[in-house]
Amino acid sequence: MATDDRSDVLVIGAGASGAAVAWRLAGAGIGVVCLEQGDWVNPSAYPHWRADWELHRHTDWSAEPNVRRLTQDYPVNDQASPISPLMYNAVGGSTIHWSAHFPRFRPSDFRVKSLDGVADDWPIDYATLEPYFDLNDRMMGVAGITGDPAYPPKSPRQTAPIPLDTLGLTIARGFERLGWHWWPSDSAILTRDYDGRRACVNCGPCDLGCPIGAKASTDITYWPKALAAGARLVTRARVREITLGPDGLADGAIYYDGDGRERAQKARAVVLAANGIGTPRLLLNSRSARFPDGLANRSGLVGRNLMFHPYAMARGVFDRPLGGHRGPIGCSIISQEFYETDLARGFVRGYSFQVARGLSPIASANGGSVGDRVPWGGEHRRAYAERFDRTITVAIIGEDLPETDNRVDLDPTLTDSHGIPAPRVSYQLSENSRRMLDHGIARAREVLLAAGAREVAFNPLLRAGGWHLMGTARMGRDPATSVVDAEGRCHDVPNLYIVDGSVMVTCAGVNPTSTIQAVALHVADGMIRRRA
Amino acid sequence: MTPERLAAKRDLLRAVLDTLVPAGDGFPESGALALDHLLAIAGASAEAGSLLARALDAVETAARADAARGFAGLSVARREDLLRAVERLHPEAFDALVRHTYDGFYSHPATIARLGLEPGPVQPRGHRIEPAALPDLARVAARGPIFRRA
Ligand SMILES: Cc1cc2nc3c(=O)[nH]c(=O)nc-3n(C[C@H](O)[C@H](O)[C@H](O)COP(=O)(O)OP(=O)(O)OC[C@H]3O[C@@H](n4cnc5c(N)ncnc54)[C@H](O)[C@@H]3O)c2cc1C
Ligand code: SF4
Repeated sequence: MATDDRSDVLVIGAGASGAAVAWRLAGAGIGVVCLEQGDWVNPSAYPHWRADWELHRHTDWSAEPNVRRLTQDYPVNDQASPISPLMYNAVGGSTIHWSAHFPRFRPSDFRVKSLDGVADDWPIDYATLEPYFDLNDRMMGVAGITGDPAYPPKSPRQTAPIPLDTLGLTIARGFERLGWHWWPSDSAILTRDYDGRRACVNCGPCDLGCPIGAKASTDITYWPKALAAGARLVTRARVREITLGPDGLADGAIYYDGDGRERAQKARAVVLAANGIGTPRLLLNSRSARFPDGLANRSGLVGRNLMFHPYAMARGVFDRPLGGHRGPIGCSIISQEFYETDLARGFVRGYSFQVARGLSPIASANGGSVGDRVPWGGEHRRAYAERFDRTITVAIIGEDLPETDNRVDLDPTLTDSHGIPAPRVSYQLSENSRRMLDHGIARAREVLLAAGAREVAFNPLLRAGGWHLMGTARMGRDPATSVVDAEGRCHDVPNLYIVDGSVMVTCAGVNPTSTIQAVALHVADGMIRRRA
Repeated sequence: MTPERLAAKRDLLRAVLDTLVPAGDGFPESGALALDHLLAIAGASAEAGSLLARALDAVETAARADAARGFAGLSVARREDLLRAVERLHPEAFDALVRHTYDGFYSHPATIARLGLEPGPVQPRGHRIEPAALPDLARVAARGPIFRRA
């Protein structure tokens, strides 16, 4: 087997967290090699340049690997889950596809056990992460406005907020009428040129990527800087397993290169950044006499406590055009009126509302995320006209609590194109989450009606909503109840680190990537400190 | 059924599409706009091709039992009844038929233009958003911190 030169650190996965950690380490003079199974995305390849761009959402640019089935994708058996995991495999990882809605976790999210008596506290807190939130904001470039009472004061945002436009102004009136919290959301999308990148031109489908680099995907934010600082990135390199030296420490990984040849990459430390599904998959595939149940899995928790944010969707139909095709699809407004625990609501913890833009022509016909297709036949024209450009969708993002039975393990038969066992996901929505989403649906209906909607429809649980993959190698102080420590180090293998969504102890009620990246930077600084 | 056989039934397919998405309000019938898309899909994906063929076979069989002149010879109301029966009996295949019809119809430049949007790629042109003042956030801000200090 060909063996590459030993590097100081091997990072596996070049997505949101892998890019951040590689940049930070390389900037400190540490030798970094990153292995990424996908390739660079050529900006000219995005569907936005083609007239039939919307058709690609359900084929080669689907966020579902099982639908996309590109060579760099691996299949995920999700038959035992009402939520399908979504991701992208490329330099930039899932930030190629993400909507760039960029809220942070709140202080109470790190103290769930102490405050509410459920799940666990994190071994780190908001104050520890605050400098990394700020650093990450500068690297990604955030549009927004300070002063949101839902958060401790934040540093100035890099650009002005994403325009609310007719649609945002309409729903904002609903929140105002009810006296509820709302705020122009932090979005990792530029509204003016910044750091050599261009401002958004409001073309719409950020979920298919951003061909002009206005949306922060890490291939255009962190990676150019990481490479300039000396990091090396090997693409089309699919890692099969992490290897151990005779001392029981991680000493590298075995991977398949772009030509399908098996190679070994040696390193003094290994950082896993393959996301909340890819990381437990790799650990479970890295068995040895020392770790017969998977690497760093003496706790038995690798793959367990999988959290998605369960999403319910509420869609209001209005009597006038809302211009919903203009502007970044997933961003404009957040509401955290029902975020903190109030047991009188019948559940513990809480949720956010995220207001999305309108539906494009095909999505309108198929009912968008609510899924109630416009009827065919004689009724079609009238029903379509009533909906097209007249809808506002409010997403309810619930905090999922960790449960050991919700998990990723290895499928006994399914493999990827290299014959590596594929992950299998088993997940059940908890009673607490169900009550939370039902509460959110009722409140979303109120705000849509207050904004002037004449009818409201719901999807109680979005299947194609597994955007956020978390919890499957949780952080904690006790090796019996967690996989990594407060600095991302595996309890069982101290030179093996995990920095992606897997380490999240709890998942809060907001999109996670800002926090995932802040944790990755915090872990990187621990590595730098230990080396110094 | 191969894509060639599907293509051989293009008249039937067109009549089915026209029934699914009829003309009106200045929109042409979907048969005129979505037909090529369906044939292309059937050619590109064996799975989609076989579902579409199954739906079309079911329509043809039902229509033959109904009238000698076939589906195209039926009244609109009768066509819809017949399609609803096929939808009940072959939900998966019929779902694919409707989905690909909507895909073809609502991605066609003529439809996009009729919807009041500019057909063609969304880049590099993007969309213009008229500048507007942000609503006054004073009420929300005045509530003071609504997060729990931990
Ligand atoms: C459609 C969509 C919309 C989203 N919208 C938002 C949003 O608005 N806000 C938000 O906060 N989050 C959003 N997310 C989630 C966000 O993208 C993720 O939270 C974030 O990218 C996770 O970062 P990560 O580093 O854990 O993993 P990823 O970014 O997924 O990166 C993992 C990388 O590891 C690579 N990899 C995996 N296994 C291997 C292997 N064996 N060998 C080599 N390489 C490997 C993968 O190819 C991938 O590039 C969205 C996600 C999707 C899919
Ligand atoms: S709306 Fe803006 S950020 Fe989104 S893809 Fe278009 S230009 Fe990029």
